[in-house]
Amino acid sequence: MLHLCGKPHFRYSCLMFLVWVFQLVGLNSGFGLDSGLNQSLTYIWPLPCEHTSGNETLTVNPALSLSIIGHGGSFRILREGFRRYKRIIFKFSSGISVSRNSRRIRSLYDISALRIIVKSGSDELKLGVDESYTLFVDKTEGKSIVWETIIEASTIYGALRGLETFSQLCAFDYTTKSVQISRAPWYIKDKPRFAYRGLLLDTSRHHFPVDAIKSIIESMSYAKLILMHFLSRYLHIQNCGMVLTQNGSAIPSRMRVELSGIHVMAEVDVPGHAESWGAGYPDLWPNATCREPLDVTKNFTFDLISGILSEIREIFPFELFHLGGDEVNTDLWASFVLTDCWNKTRHVKQWLDKNKMKPKDAYRYFVLKAQEIAISKNWTPVNWEETFNAFAKNLNPRTVVHNWLGPGVCPKAVAKGFKCIFSNQNVWYLDHLDVSWDEVYYAEPLEGIGNASKQELVIGGEVCMWGETVDTSNVQQTIWPRAAAAAERLWSTEEALSADNNSVLQRLQYFRCLLNRRGVQAAPVTNYYARNPPSGSGSCYWQ
Amino acid sequence: MLLFSLKPHCKLTFLVLLLWVSLLVGSNSGVELDESLTYIWPLPSEFTSGNQTLTVDPALSLSVLGKGGYSEILKEGFERYKKIIFKHASGISLFQKLRGIRSVYDISELRIIVNSDSEELQLGVDESYALFVAKNDGKSIVGEATIEANTVYGALRGLETFSQLCAFNYETKSVQIYKAPWYIKDNPRFAFRGLLLDTSRHYLPIDVIKQIIESMSYAKLNVLHWHIIDEESFPLEVPSYPKLWNGAYTKWERYTVEDASEIVSFAKMRGIHVMAEVDVPGHAESWGAGYPDLWPSSSCREPLDISKNFTFELISGILSDIRKIFPFELFHLGGDEVHTDCWTSTPHIKQWLNDHNMTAKDAYQYFVLKAQEIAISKDWTPVNWEETFNSFPSKLNPRTVVHNWLGPGVCPKAVAKGFKCIFSNQGAWYLDHLDVPWNQVYSAEPLEGINNVSEQNLVLGGEVCMWGETADASNVQQTIWPRAAAAAERLWSKREALSVRNITSTILPRYHYFRCLLNRRGVQAAPATNFYARRPPTGPGSCYEQ
Repeated sequence: MLHLCGKPHFRYSCLMFLVWVFQLVGLNSGFGLDSGLNQSLTYIWPLPCEHTSGNETLTVNPALSLSIIGHGGSFRILREGFRRYKRIIFKFSSGISVSRNSRRIRSLYDISALRIIVKSGSDELKLGVDESYTLFVDKTEGKSIVWETIIEASTIYGALRGLETFSQLCAFDYTTKSVQISRAPWYIKDKPRFAYRGLLLDTSRHHFPVDAIKSIIESMSYAKLILMHFLSRYLHIQNCGMVLTQNGSAIPSRMRVELSGIHVMAEVDVPGHAESWGAGYPDLWPNATCREPLDVTKNFTFDLISGILSEIREIFPFELFHLGGDEVNTDLWASFVLTDCWNKTRHVKQWLDKNKMKPKDAYRYFVLKAQEIAISKNWTPVNWEETFNAFAKNLNPRTVVHNWLGPGVCPKAVAKGFKCIFSNQNVWYLDHLDVSWDEVYYAEPLEGIGNASKQELVIGGEVCMWGETVDTSNVQQTIWPRAAAAAERLWSTEEALSADNNSVLQRLQYFRCLLNRRGVQAAPVTNYYARNPPSGSGSCYWQ
Repeated sequence: MLLFSLKPHCKLTFLVLLLWVSLLVGSNSGVELDESLTYIWPLPSEFTSGNQTLTVDPALSLSVLGKGGYSEILKEGFERYKKIIFKHASGISLFQKLRGIRSVYDISELRIIVNSDSEELQLGVDESYALFVAKNDGKSIVGEATIEANTVYGALRGLETFSQLCAFNYETKSVQIYKAPWYIKDNPRFAFRGLLLDTSRHYLPIDVIKQIIESMSYAKLNVLHWHIIDEESFPLEVPSYPKLWNGAYTKWERYTVEDASEIVSFAKMRGIHVMAEVDVPGHAESWGAGYPDLWPSSSCREPLDISKNFTFELISGILSDIRKIFPFELFHLGGDEVHTDCWTSTPHIKQWLNDHNMTAKDAYQYFVLKAQEIAISKDWTPVNWEETFNSFPSKLNPRTVVHNWLGPGVCPKAVAKGFKCIFSNQGAWYLDHLDVPWNQVYSAEPLEGINNVSEQNLVLGGEVCMWGETADASNVQQTIWPRAAAAAERLWSKREALSVRNITSTILPRYHYFRCLLNRRGVQAAPATNFYARRPPTGPGSCYEQ
């Protein structure tokens, strides 16, 4: 119906059509079913640490059963995970109603049971929790050949990662209409390279309904990301002192997150980026016309911060807590812009003079005081790198420095003994739409850090989904597939990552289509700008 | 973190920030809804409301009456809507504990009366319903909510409306119904309220199609026009001709017979018809991947080779196979954009044309009519794109439904000749035309130019078309919504209710509200008022304003 319409995208369509025809000619029979998928590659994302495979194809029973062996503890999380993955794996087979009595009701499957062995009974989810696992799809040869599928892990969270990998081994075969595992036997031994593999979600610039946040968390688990950095700068503060994020709905329940094995780190960004606080408590503004940073002079400001942190401590059990501290810079331009309100408001100015402070001293004073409050609530404070850049030697030594402005900050931070999170905005800010998938992929958190003991201080990295131009309608397609590129960087061994560009691209395209199949709106991989629509008709596996 | 980054959108951000600040100053605490409007989309045909606020029990129970009350479709529908309505309450156990709320709710039971026990879903099925929500008036012990409908599908529409009356109140942390008591009596203006989905240009996974069907039910759309195959790819399994789906893009981008049936039954549970399309004789190149004989020649591949019996045997085989999957009485045969050059340039077809004393145009007519006969022999009513009507209206089978697309004015001509018609004027209702603003979608009128009532009755309705060249699983929902909702109200609500003078102050706030409702329900509906559809929001801000 569209060839008559002379709309702007028509030219693209023509171009893509040519490309497509070209491929058609190249592929001999035209609509090539295997479309050049390189069978020698391993289509597991992120790539496991060690793996070997064979060349047998096995069928998986849709009534796959689970047995768990382990030291008591709560396996509810695991059972729930198994159910989730079973739904993912057997999505297709469920529809057998029309031709139930026609062909293929195969009573004999190669794999009918999955055994999970968990060594530890603890279900505590904290930074550095053991996520390692081994996964076997192997045969034992007695009288007859019996295939066994076993996931072994120290913790239930390791087992969840193993389940994800298992689900990626399973693929629906349209010819036999059954779920198959090809290239068996499999032996996979896997663990993450970094403990901290994060995604920042900014719920302040646009509100995200709970459902949208849940689906983001769910999709994170597909790429083995482990941490959602949950940012809500515009807090709504109710009279009773209860703290809610915007519209009160945006905090995902603790239970939900544990189920996916994902940490949630909250951020309350002080003293800048806090103008909205004053909507309920105007006393927090330096004055009615000059509204941030928060008024440094009043005890009320710190009482309130303390109150907020107490309230939300119970919701966010994770040991790290982000205190922001960014963009209150003290260089000339920035201090003029950003601590201007302190200088211009008479009572604040008087207070500064009385305490013999310049604005940048007051900034330090504020940050350190907020750190103390967080520590008193048994949290480890995380700060954006400005605090480190401005007064490294005053920072609490437990501070985790969160890099963003550019490369080279983590090397400096770890040299001074601080822990560090890598989020160089040139490569890992997902709102920078002109960063291509391979630039994301080849960004290395340990770059410039040679010393092994210093390397250990880099706890990982985080891709940041700032919310200026994302809302519920497009957040997933802005996050994916590029977040997956970073996820593999953070999970897989450095050797595995040094593969050639082309094979990584094929694997990433495959993973993007996997996300699509699972209902995640991952955008085409190779468009020049991220999240742009496909440029024309074509297969998900090429675009 | 972003003020330092000198990316292009930075300037916009500042601008929007300024706007936002000024809004903050202006309106105190952000967006206020105009309470005089009725935030139900599409607008019911008759309703009255009051000024009470009622609370709804999260343990809302269902009681059914009437012959159709025990339908599985109804029960599942109720459970589905309960999940939607009480989404929030479940996530905040901590706060509930802190507050110890244990109050009595005004509405604890929803009563649904369904008069007929038939679950047959055919065009024109009775979708009317009445919905009544009132507080305990002293005579009865509890307040009540009642839906009464003739069919289970009418009851589903009533449930959708009921769910839109319910809103979560963040202060009391409970679900409330505002402006009660409500009395709503509703029925659709058109029987055919469609959305076309194109799974040939881009394959859409089953889950995505289900999400789309689910979202259609929120706007009371009721026909999924599934443009399954086209020249680019042939994803559908046809058991009688098992090589046809060799024309799929890859071995994973296919639909089994079971997948297709699952789509149909998933849609039926929501009162949605699935109308399949097999577009002949043009737009069929991909068929030849498995059966190259269908191509006029290996270098000239469409339209389908008209000279061979095999071509028509195969069409008949496809239709027989898929008739079992698609019970809906309408079946779309395409018939559009047939460029006959391959027929006249391929020697054996040219010879055939000469033998039969046909011009290429005659051959096109011959093909379309033969395909119509096949469809009719399978007990289907054929639908054709308007080209067939434009080219040979007097030859078309009188049962043909003419599907307009090229421009305005076609339905008036078609109904004047006694044909039924579906309105899809591409200037207004092609969703891939990204430069059509919501108000143009909204004000497109299927009955324009048709004044005679009996002719008006021949317009079955209309359909928005989501062609797939630049829409795949990543962005199809945001291209469909919210503009499909504009058409949905046009097709459901009374014409008088739509023709208001100031669309910006009366319709737009409701349209914004519905877009945010879609977002809350997990549908990626794009900002409503951007110049181009499906564009990202231009800066920070509330969903209710963007």
